[in-house]
Amino acid sequence: MTKTIRFRLIDALLIAMMILPFIGCIVLKVLFTPPSEGVSVTGPLVYLQLGIKPQPLYITEATMVSLAVIIAVFALCLYLTHGLSVECRTKRQLIAEMIVEKVTDFVTGNMGMRFVGFAPFVAAILALSALSSLSSLLGLFPPTSDINIVAGWAILVFILMTHYKLRGGVGHYLKSFGDPIPIFYPFNVFSEVATPVSMTFRHYGNILSGGVITALIATALAGLSSKILGLFSGAGWYTTYIATIPFLRVGLPAVLSIYFDVFSGCLQAFIFAMLTMLNISGGYPEEEAAARAAKREARRTKRLAKKTEKRVAKGAGAATIGVLTSPDTPDEEK
Amino acid sequence: MIAIAIILGCCALGAGVAMIAGIGPGIGEGYAVGKACEAIARQPEQKGSVTSTMLMGCAVAETTGLYALVIAILLIFVAPNTLLKVWQKFVDANPGV
Amino acid sequence: MMTFMLAKESLDVIYINIWAIVISLVNLLILFLLLKKFLFKPVTRIMAERRAKVDAIVSDAEAARAAAEADKAAYAERMAAADADAAEVIRRATATATRESEAIVATARERAAAVKKQAESDIAQEKKKAVNELKGEISDISMTIAEQVVGREVTPADHHAMIDAFIAGMDSGDSHA
Repeated sequence: MTKTIRFRLIDALLIAMMILPFIGCIVLKVLFTPPSEGVSVTGPLVYLQLGIKPQPLYITEATMVSLAVIIAVFALCLYLTHGLSVECRTKRQLIAEMIVEKVTDFVTGNMGMRFVGFAPFVAAILALSALSSLSSLLGLFPPTSDINIVAGWAILVFILMTHYKLRGGVGHYLKSFGDPIPIFYPFNVFSEVATPVSMTFRHYGNILSGGVITALIATALAGLSSKILGLFSGAGWYTTYIATIPFLRVGLPAVLSIYFDVFSGCLQAFIFAMLTMLNISGGYPEEEAAARAAKREARRTKRLAKKTEKRVAKGAGAATIGVLTSPDTPDEEK
Repeated sequence: MIAIAIILGCCALGAGVAMIAGIGPGIGEGYAVGKACEAIARQPEQKGSVTSTMLMGCAVAETTGLYALVIAILLIFVAPNTLLKVWQKFVDANPGV
Repeated sequence: MMTFMLAKESLDVIYINIWAIVISLVNLLILFLLLKKFLFKPVTRIMAERRAKVDAIVSDAEAARAAAEADKAAYAERMAAADADAAEVIRRATATATRESEAIVATARERAAAVKKQAESDIAQEKKKAVNELKGEISDISMTIAEQVVGREVTPADHHAMIDAFIAGMDSGDSHA
């Protein structure tokens, strides 16, 4: 298959869409970074501040970087699925199919076939979390070391979890807290609330600790290199300039960043996705939900039958009765 | 001035004490990894699933340590500023102190 | 009411902001929907289409194979029938040939027997004739010899008596020989 110019143009556009947001973030950061001395451990830079009622809305570096990640992932999706065809299998199509199959297998293997619709959600968590953590390789502020970002994801997971727990009925949900003996009720409620908190702190703490350690080591190395250079340089006006060259910061932080940024970031993304899946599928009350669905089904069929009877009484056509009384049971819950 | 020094010193001390909690996850994760090594030695063909389960367990065990870490970071980077502001307000309100 | 300002400062390491939480929650939802719509749906659709296509190809191949099998079976059947026909033909031909050859042999044997019979009767006739001739000649010769030996005239009656006696003796000697 020969690629047309239009096809190539769209490809180039999509690739630009993948790269440009990050470049934009870097430019923004460079423009907004306040003059400061050395490395410091701070939160994200604030670009814009909107005074809305309960709390001011900050447009921070974390917001921008996560937006860039979303745009990049979106562009990557479009790029991978560009020129999808049934028989001509390009390399990118193979990659796209591999991603889809792997994630679907991952989700169905951990959650069961019932939750196969969660595959895009888990893929979104993996992509967003991993790419956000990896953005620190570009010198950007990783959004995952902003507690609010991770808290948002964890709260979403908590909402989903509660939603699936409520499938077994509100009574069953409330009763499940007094599980072994009713005395444990407050503890169980506390541990339920602690789930999103611990998910948040786990992810946030891991990434932030990596950042803190990297910053500390960078500061230490800068101090050490300035001391070493101060020993060798003689008196003169240039001494102060030479002594500020942090030459020791060249090698070691890269090695550390392989662990703290790449490994830890990917691992935390994986763990967050894994915990999401386990929490959602583990809290799902199978039997109660099935019983409730069956009850609802029975009620529905009864209602249908009553309606049919009414119709029969009204003297509706005999042909419609057959249709209505025929087993109108929909399939098992999706 | 002494009050400020006490605030800063106690924040640092508190952070250090908080990080004692790092012992627990350290021991726990070491134990988990050791057991995982044993399991892999016994059944090398199960290496993948043992490793992923171990990472999961480690992540869960790490939580307490991370709580301590968050407390320590709060104490070092956030608490001093807040406490100093509170102290400043107090001093402004009572100039006699 | 709403203040709007460009800020040039960093926030604390830990801060809680409801809007940031809401924004990131919505971001995750948006990314979920994007991935679902633009990656999972088309790829799943393409894979389903391919599976359908492959299934169609496989079922086609299956049908073709079944047809080939049927053809092969029919061919084998026909071959078997042809073999049986050939065997029948050969058997019939062999039978005919056997019969004919037997008939030929029988006729030949009959004719040979007839010829033999003819020859035998001829031989017998010839023999009888020869015997008769010999009888005459012998009677003549013996008469002559006897005339010469005895020197006297032999009456024809004697003569005949003597010859008959001789022939009788010769016949018995012949038959014994």
